[in-house]
Amino acid sequence: MTRKTKALSGASQDAYFRRVLKTYPDLPEDARERIVRQLRSEIAQLRIRTTARESALAAHEDAQREPAAVAKEPAPAAGPALEAFTASAPSAPIELPRAAPFDPFAINVIVVLRTEGKDAALEALNAVADADNLRLLAREQRLSVDEDLVTPEALSAAIVAAAERRIANRRAAAG
Amino acid sequence: MARFLAVSNRKGGVGKSTTAVMLAHAAAAWGNQRVLVMDLDTQCNASLMLVGGEAFAKARRAGLTIADYIYDRFDNVADDESGYVLNGVGDVAHAMTRQGRVSLLPGSQKLEDIQGELFLKQSKKDIDADAVAVQVRGRMRRMMKHFGMDFDLVVLDCPPGLSFAALAALDLADLVLVPFRPDFVSQFALDQVAQLVERVETHDDLQDIPLGERRYVCLANTLKGAGEERMLLDQLALDHPLLKTRMPLLDSIARAFDWDERKKSMEQKYQDAIPFMRALHDEVFAVPHMKPELEPAA
Repeated sequence: MTRKTKALSGASQDAYFRRVLKTYPDLPEDARERIVRQLRSEIAQLRIRTTARESALAAHEDAQREPAAVAKEPAPAAGPALEAFTASAPSAPIELPRAAPFDPFAINVIVVLRTEGKDAALEALNAVADADNLRLLAREQRLSVDEDLVTPEALSAAIVAAAERRIANRRAAAG
Repeated sequence: MARFLAVSNRKGGVGKSTTAVMLAHAAAAWGNQRVLVMDLDTQCNASLMLVGGEAFAKARRAGLTIADYIYDRFDNVADDESGYVLNGVGDVAHAMTRQGRVSLLPGSQKLEDIQGELFLKQSKKDIDADAVAVQVRGRMRRMMKHFGMDFDLVVLDCPPGLSFAALAALDLADLVLVPFRPDFVSQFALDQVAQLVERVETHDDLQDIPLGERRYVCLANTLKGAGEERMLLDQLALDHPLLKTRMPLLDSIARAFDWDERKKSMEQKYQDAIPFMRALHDEVFAVPHMKPELEPAA
């Protein structure tokens, strides 16, 4: 099998951390977010194997060792969040989620807003039930939303408002 | 009379000169056209790509550049301006076909200075600054058009700024090709060049002109295949006519910037960029007012 790897950084790296951590059902959501924040601050770039077989193997191997070893650059020291991560790691092999990763560009918010209107944009975003995915979409599409927003509904509304501001900004620049 | 193709974008570093030279080679080699590249950019990259440093320096010393031509002939365009043109340039042997060839009116770093000088000179005749600007711009347009008699295609490699020469080129062009990199600021640059070409003041006025009737087309350049690029292209396509051809980020295109004294084939020079160049050539010259009068080479 050909070994292929993919580099992740920024929002896509965060999403990867969240996907992996969600496979630990005992890990509370706030602890998961703390770990993601800490990993984000300590890891500049990840390089993951992309073939399914190797992903499963990697997940198994990862479960046997400290999670920071997954990173290209080792974390300098394990803080409380990392300790929580290792403490809750199951000893049995785990499998990564099989569902295709969320594509943050699948809904082009500005295009939908301009061609189909605000209601259509909100409807499209409301179909994304996961708040993490909505945050990822906002980051990747450069639509600034308040970090304190939690519910998918609030995030969707904020994303559409940010898209409206983006459109207005461009029109203003064009005169 | 030649068709005039301006390659323009107010943003720098988007591949204007590279695109201009690639299209010149393609039109000569595959379209059998007599092509003149007019280097209006004071960076003179197209000149360096087509004749190399030594020949370019020699043309400068001999006073055979676009700046010399405009300065010398501003008040009196003579019938024969061919002395300013270097023929059979470029390092592609295939661009020298039975009829096709690439010629160059070399660029000059003095072009910006002489435009200021000509403006001041004209100001002595007319005190209204706007009227003087229109005169200088119109005069430069006519001077550029003068070369149309001897060629099938004139490629105007425009500078990023809005000099009189750049504005004259945009006025003259039958088609303005706007290469761009799909990033956040590109949309602002495209909006600006579109309004200039279509001579409208606002975004709303621009929207009143159907995409199919615009005098410009946009070329997405140096693509890496990222999702963000796809998103921006979809957004830009709402407001601007985009070519279906999209140029990827290729080493072969970056290397083509280097002039080589040995002539080579199109395939040797452009390597894996050839399919994209073919597509670009075919699409640009399928635009109704850009179709060549000559039959393409077999």
